[in-house]
Amino acid sequence: MKHTSRRVIAITIIIIFFLSLSFVTGKFYYRYAHAEDLIMIGILPVQGFFSQVGMRLSAIFQDIREYGLVLEENKMLKEKLAREEDLHTKIFELEKENERLRGMLGFKERSSYTLLPAEVVARDPDHWFETITINKGYADGVQKDMAVVTTRGLVGNVFFVSRNSSRVLLLTDSRRAVSALIQRSREPGFVGIIEGCPEKIDFLKMSNLSPEASIRQGDVVISSGLGGVFPKGLVIGYVEEAGQDQYGLLQQAIVYPAVDFNRLEEVFIVIESPAEENDLLSRGS
Amino acid sequence: MENRFHLIFYPFFIFMAILILVFQSSFLSFFFVRRSTPDLLLIVVLCFAFFGGENKGLVLGLIAGFCQDIIFGPAIGIFTLAKMLSAFLTGLVAREIYKDQIIGPALTVFFITFFHEIIIFFMISLWGGGSPQLSLSLRSLLPRAVSHLLLTIPIYPLLYRAGQKNFFHPF
Repeated sequence: MKHTSRRVIAITIIIIFFLSLSFVTGKFYYRYAHAEDLIMIGILPVQGFFSQVGMRLSAIFQDIREYGLVLEENKMLKEKLAREEDLHTKIFELEKENERLRGMLGFKERSSYTLLPAEVVARDPDHWFETITINKGYADGVQKDMAVVTTRGLVGNVFFVSRNSSRVLLLTDSRRAVSALIQRSREPGFVGIIEGCPEKIDFLKMSNLSPEASIRQGDVVISSGLGGVFPKGLVIGYVEEAGQDQYGLLQQAIVYPAVDFNRLEEVFIVIESPAEENDLLSRGS
Repeated sequence: MENRFHLIFYPFFIFMAILILVFQSSFLSFFFVRRSTPDLLLIVVLCFAFFGGENKGLVLGLIAGFCQDIIFGPAIGIFTLAKMLSAFLTGLVAREIYKDQIIGPALTVFFITFFHEIIIFFMISLWGGGSPQLSLSLRSLLPRAVSHLLLTIPIYPLLYRAGQKNFFHPF
């Protein structure tokens, strides 16, 4: 009896201790960042190795599944390539012309982001937090809050940097909200993860849209640059459906993300972005 | 003598826990859709707790959860508490269950998975990790528990037999 009560007391003390510790460390994450830094240096090569093996194996399985389509696709792609070659030449010409015209107007070229390529070496093993680990750290010039993108659109931002790796908070994580615009109508709003919609787990919700805002299915949602974390103009996703919010005062839209968060393998860190544009927007707002 | 065995086993377990976490977050994540990756570390800890008892489970759960908190957690204590209490409960439940048959540990792991996730849910709610994520995570709870049940079937006999042959206490 005495032994049992002593054990209950010990477990209660441990619970209280770790509860308190989680509050303290959750608020002051940077305090043990150096410890994590050291650990990450040790485990990063192993993580990288397992990622490579996993990526290749899953690619092999994927290839086997899709082999039937490959021949047909190959034929189609050859035809497409011939058309693209022609288009490429035209685009090149237009790009040059665009550059000249922009120069004349005195604006800086809009897509002048300096990008640093990185590989995804790990994902959060639990399903409560939406983060990934990439193989570039402060030794490569990565800093906290830098935006992370793929060729398709915005992925998230760096929230922890160690020497050779960084952790990225994905757009789908509920700990964030991104200021966004409907590219066509330029209505400012906020993008967050969808709530109370079990059939749309991988979607984002754009809320705080004015009732007069013009939103259509298929509209492109881009980052607005407000808030200072994400540069302006990065594609977030496409409007799936729009309607009034639960109070009927504002509009909200369900957004299909441009990036496939289940298949992130290579990403780019936005090292530098056109700052003037954000300044202009801030002043304008 | 037993104490010395334990001293050898625990560093080995820390190494194993880190390796499992790394494997789970990198290799395994390519074969599962986001949020459905099974928690291999939880399965291993619960299996050890099942045949090792609640006290051993408590310590192993604490070590495993602490490793997870350090490497991936947003705060130290969330996974430590969840894994520690889950393993302790498994040890208590296992007192009444026959350890040589797989059905007992498999079902225990299935039900304890819910307990583990509820503790995390509770911790995040207290800590303020955001509510939408919680509802999404809770929806993936059942598939996760089922995958844990299925994975326990090959993992438990492996660890149980290795434990019986003193693999974890070689000297």
